[in-house]
Amino acid sequence: MAGHPHYREAHPLIFVITHWINLICMVMLAFSGFYIHYPFFDGFMGVARGMHFVAMYVVIINLTFRIIAAFFVKTAQSLDSREVDLDIKNWLPQEKNRHQFFETVKYYLFLRKEGVISAKYGSLQKIAYLATIPLTYLQAYTGFAIYGPTMDWGFFSGGLDLVGGPMNMRIIHYLGMWVFILFTMVHAYLANIYNFAPSKLIFLWKETVPEGKH
Amino acid sequence: MAQEAHGALHDLLAVRGVTRRDFLKYCGSVAAMLGLSETMAPQIAAALEAAPKLMPALWLNGGSCTGCTESIAQVDTPDVATIVLDYLSFEYFETIMAAAGSWAEKNITKRAEEGGYILIYEGSVMTGQDGYTLFVGGGPENEGAKKGTEILAEAAKNAAAVIAVGSCAVDGGWIYGYPNASEATGVAAFLQKEGIKTPVVNMPTCPVNPEWVVAMVVQLLIVADRDPAKFLEVTPMVKRTYTDAVTGEKVGLLMPKAIYGQTIHDNCPRRGHFENGEFVTELGSKEEAMGYCLYKVGCKGPQTFTQCPVTRWNRRASWCVESGAPCIGCGGLNWVDNNAPFLKRTSDIRIGDTGVQAGTIGAAVGAVAAAGLVLHGIGMKAAGRIGDGPPMEEMKAYDRKRLAKKGGDK
Ligand code: HEM
Ligand code: HEM
Ligand code: SF4
Ligand code: SF4
Repeated sequence: MAGHPHYREAHPLIFVITHWINLICMVMLAFSGFYIHYPFFDGFMGVARGMHFVAMYVVIINLTFRIIAAFFVKTAQSLDSREVDLDIKNWLPQEKNRHQFFETVKYYLFLRKEGVISAKYGSLQKIAYLATIPLTYLQAYTGFAIYGPTMDWGFFSGGLDLVGGPMNMRIIHYLGMWVFILFTMVHAYLANIYNFAPSKLIFLWKETVPEGKH
Repeated sequence: MAQEAHGALHDLLAVRGVTRRDFLKYCGSVAAMLGLSETMAPQIAAALEAAPKLMPALWLNGGSCTGCTESIAQVDTPDVATIVLDYLSFEYFETIMAAAGSWAEKNITKRAEEGGYILIYEGSVMTGQDGYTLFVGGGPENEGAKKGTEILAEAAKNAAAVIAVGSCAVDGGWIYGYPNASEATGVAAFLQKEGIKTPVVNMPTCPVNPEWVVAMVVQLLIVADRDPAKFLEVTPMVKRTYTDAVTGEKVGLLMPKAIYGQTIHDNCPRRGHFENGEFVTELGSKEEAMGYCLYKVGCKGPQTFTQCPVTRWNRRASWCVESGAPCIGCGGLNWVDNNAPFLKRTSDIRIGDTGVQAGTIGAAVGAVAAAGLVLHGIGMKAAGRIGDGPPMEEMKAYDRKRLAKKGGDK
């Protein structure tokens, strides 16, 4: 974190694109979702639903692609190095993050001064990013369970029975949206709190290299 | 019982002054409900009229408001539905039978011994208070005294099929709703718990729509040749599984697919306005009269699987949404808990005894998080971390401690 370089090797172009697609879809899904939950102005329901139904497929395909790509694309394993290895290693536990979980929590609670040593993603960060995967699929599951054309499929009707019917499923889907909103709030906050170098990289694919590094 | 050449129904119709035309028209709508072509109407009419004998049936009332009976036994003017239902020979029907006392109770026992009947059950099965509800025969010490649940078990055991009419009979209905003091449950759950295997056909809504009961009776008598086994075979059913909170049974409720297979929202006449985004915001407004969609005033049509928009109510005059009121979801499972407050889009989430809307929870948590992040940001600034970030540690705290320990050992 500390004024460290932001090399393109950390986020190759393909992952800049997947992040963009994900972000745009999420904004569309949350906006249309709020509207479907309670139409707060007139004349938009058809569009809102269409928007939701398009974005939901895109977001699922995008995420699935991102996961598969992790096994093929190489990314940097460390913040201050251009050296790359398979991206999936950044998602599995790494030696650099060992014993650092509670130290990271302490850091964010202002219980220690110095930043903690970490791999490309710190331990908290990694857990949060990893959590978006099952969350997105869960949101897709609850979404298809309230989607007319699919709700009768045994895979989804079983879930409907479990939660006590489509009304409860809609409420779960709605609350799921809030989990994404909370994630995004914290995520965007932490990504930008020190400086905008991380955002420049993930959105504009622009490197920030402190003096003396290259 | 009239059993002449014309058959029983012909006479009933004549006596009640229903013209052949009315009857044919009605059979046409029954055909539509059964998913048959309306050109089948004359066949249905002929078969109904020619059928030589009535089918024995028992109608039992459980924990109910008797609304389903009211809905069906529209006695002020002859209605075709009522007359077709007369085709069932009710040997027990609390609300409208002439028999009373032990004589009436014997009708149940006798019929249950002989078999060959269908049982129609209205109302919830009240299992609370040790079953001392709907009790007949004075005190428990009297000979022949029975609990309501015992009567149901006796009548159901030998029946060819049970038709659970109205949401209460299906899963306990509104009586099943929180806090369910009477421990009300549905017929299917109760029979499953008792190990009684008689098939149950479930017909929710509160009350049950008489036209649907007629459709099923026609299906049983005509399409299935009065054979309940064949009836179950030839009638497409949807199965809605739920776990009953009272008996703990996981129950697969069979419901006729032609009636309970699609949502109200799928067939609603206001649906065009839904897609256009034209909504009623206030009941009694101009928008309501213009046929705008009732989604914002709590319509539960999107989650409710019934054919109300197609069959309609009150002798096919109108129905909830058409008349300007949001569907309150009376045809769903656990329908009050799942749909109240009726004028809100989603049901309340119950925390203890109070209900909270999901939107309130979301907004509150979101606001707390936003405030937390602002505070945290102020802290980050105060800690001088903004800009280049904090000074980095040279070594992990864990390693430092270990080194220090090693150093201490030496
Ligand atoms: C990923 C796959 C997703 C699928 C398959 C899906 C599907 C659906 C469907 C079918 C509906 C009901 C639309 C209607 O009946 O008109 C819906 C509603 C909704 N969706 Fe999604 N969705 C997905 C993702 C998301 C995400 C990521 C969010 C939020 C960030 C979201 C938020 C909402 C909200 C708030 C509603 C309204 C719920 C209500 O109150 O009724 N959805 N979704
Ligand atoms: C305001 C919106 C957002 C901003 C400013 C933002 C910013 C960023 C930044 C700067 C990174 C790089 C982090 C680093 O290298 O330290 C990143 C990565 C990531 N973000 Fe976001 N993000 C946003 C929205 C979202 C949303 C809505 C999601 C998912 C629901 C999301 C999921 C992720 C994930 C999973 C990564 C890891 C990227 C990868 O390796 O593929 N982000 N984001
Ligand atoms: S009135 Fe109800 S059922 Fe009809 S379109 Fe609107 S939400 Fe759907
Ligand atoms: S429209 Fe809804 S509330 Fe009205 S009878 Fe049908 S299911 Fe019940």
